[in-house]
Amino acid sequence: MDRDGAPVLVVEGVAKTFGAGELAVHALKPATFSVAPGELAALLGPSGSGKSTLLLSISLILEPSAGRIAVNGQEVYRDGWTGIDVRRFRRENIGFIFQSHNLIPFLTAQENVALMLQLNGIGAREATRRAREILDYLEIGHRAGALPANLSGGEQQRVAIGRALANSPPLILADEPTAALDTDRGTKVMGLLRKIARERRSAVIAVTHDRRMIEGFDTVYYLEDGRLSRTSQGAAAAH
Amino acid sequence: MDLAVKDIRRHLGKFVATIVGVGLLLTIVLVMNGIYQGNIADGVWLIENTATDLWVVERGRGGPFNESSRIPADAHKSVAATPGVAQASPFVAYAAQRELGGASQQFTIIGYDVFGGLGGPGRIVQGRAIRAAHYEMVADAKLGLALGERVQLGRNVHTVVGITREAVDSGGNPLVYLSLPDAQDVQYEQDNRAREAARAASLKKLERAGYTAEQAAKLLPLLAAATDNVNAVLVKLAPGADPAAVSRHVQDWLHFNVYTTAEERSLMLEGRLRRMSGVLGLFRSLLVVVSIVIIALIVYVLTIEKIKSIATLKLIGAPNRVIVRLIMEQSLALTVASFAFAYLLTGVVEPRFPRTLLFLPQETAATFGVMLAGGVVASLMAIWHALRTPPQLALGG
Ligand SMILES: Nc1ncnc2c1ncn2[C@@H]1O[C@H](COP(=O)(O)OP(=O)(O)OP(=O)(O)O)[C@@H](O)[C@H]1O
Ligand SMILES: [Mg+2]
Repeated sequence: MDRDGAPVLVVEGVAKTFGAGELAVHALKPATFSVAPGELAALLGPSGSGKSTLLLSISLILEPSAGRIAVNGQEVYRDGWTGIDVRRFRRENIGFIFQSHNLIPFLTAQENVALMLQLNGIGAREATRRAREILDYLEIGHRAGALPANLSGGEQQRVAIGRALANSPPLILADEPTAALDTDRGTKVMGLLRKIARERRSAVIAVTHDRRMIEGFDTVYYLEDGRLSRTSQGAAAAH
Repeated sequence: MDLAVKDIRRHLGKFVATIVGVGLLLTIVLVMNGIYQGNIADGVWLIENTATDLWVVERGRGGPFNESSRIPADAHKSVAATPGVAQASPFVAYAAQRELGGASQQFTIIGYDVFGGLGGPGRIVQGRAIRAAHYEMVADAKLGLALGERVQLGRNVHTVVGITREAVDSGGNPLVYLSLPDAQDVQYEQDNRAREAARAASLKKLERAGYTAEQAAKLLPLLAAATDNVNAVLVKLAPGADPAAVSRHVQDWLHFNVYTTAEERSLMLEGRLRRMSGVLGLFRSLLVVVSIVIIALIVYVLTIEKIKSIATLKLIGAPNRVIVRLIMEQSLALTVASFAFAYLLTGVVEPRFPRTLLFLPQETAATFGVMLAGGVVASLMAIWHALRTPPQLALGG
């Protein structure tokens, strides 16, 4: 585990409130933490506790209400966007794995991964080659030409992981990547994320409901009612 | 990676079906354009293709095509004597519906002075012009008559000596050219019983007026309906003659109505053709509007169908130009392919169409431009919608 060097993610007092006045929902109360390169962090918490809200805020999809976020040394939010090209920043620095796979339905597995590479300026031929390499790495190279609709849930999720890590982003965010999978496949997907963090040096934050999935994670965060706390694995398991 | 092409390839059947559907609609629009212009072209064909400078017709009437006009057959002699007139010829035009070539056909008979007079067929594509004073005819190809075929018209049998092409009256019906006396014969022919009845009625009238039977029989020919009439006199002006001055002279001194070819043309456009042009023009506008609405809806639906993919593209950080290109390309592909399909299909329809279709290139281009603009406006709306879509949409479910 590589704990030296600057943190890949710094979150300081980031909070998110939906709505205002009587109807305000404090989905995320001021949260502060940081993640080092190659660190494997789990985010646990009951439904509605603000896990997605936190991840979406970090990935610049949802605008926080307050706080400061820096990714890979660049400040992206300080009580407002800092004026960077949000989408460009996202595709270059953050790989996102969604709860449902969210592949483009009219592109094959390989094309879905290659698209991500091409969006980052890699030529079509090279993108196709690398996409195949990534799918092979994730052990679904044999399904490279299949459309998402013809893939099983686990295969789809692996393609989505392939897309998230295609650009070797310093930070990978996974929002319940195992929710749609049975325990066996879920464990496999989490194992893959572990492998990616170890071998490719990307920091990973994975949200899950299932404590059995977080074996071997470096850090475990717990969210309850929008309040973030860091726990030892044992403490998390006790909840 | 060209996302538009990938998407189309995955849904090729659906895309092709859409193009065929929209293409058929655009075919109707183009054919409607053709009908509209063809109606006008047919309507003024005879006026524009009769070699004459002035049309002299019965006084107070908008003849000879929009209103019946009868003038004495020898009127052309006094017209010819008018200063500034180089040549004046009698002209008969008469709409008929007869059994011809084995089928009941509607056509117009043109009678003209076959010995050098004005108003004869312009271009004969097969055979020759009429040379004999009687029993020869020139027919349009549309009638389906063959050269040398013998055709009964009225009491006489005529031989087809020449064939014209696209020679039509204002209703798009083919023309038959006859010598002046033959045409008058057909125009005023009556069968024997009708003639007998008219004769008996006239005799009775004379007897009631106090004439003896003998006197009445003598007076009878004077009462018979005049058959030595023509419908118009065609005038060729002398070089340098002022058409307005000649018209005024003929109107004031000979008491006829005179129209220049341009005036005759606008009589037709504002008279007989006006209502039909109005109806066709209205339908044409409606069809264009309907087509644009349908193209716009399809483009919009194509985009909405993909809205989740578009949100995903935003989530993974695709720039707007990727999304704009996806929508624009599909919209243009749809519009251009549908129009191309329609254009080709129109070419297939044209020769089989029962009426003259006239396609003006600039009108076809304008129609294409309007459809393209409709598609572009629709895709701009779709793009606006797509760019407003929050990326979180992709996360829902
Ligand atoms: N757009 C929104 N408008 C209003 N409230 C919202 C919105 N999004 C989320 N919330 C609320 O914020 C709180 C946190 O939601 P969030 O989606 O982050 O929970 P979660 O921990 O991801 O839950 P789950 O495990 O069910 O996915 C919830 O109470 C939710 O109702
Ligand atoms: Mg969630």
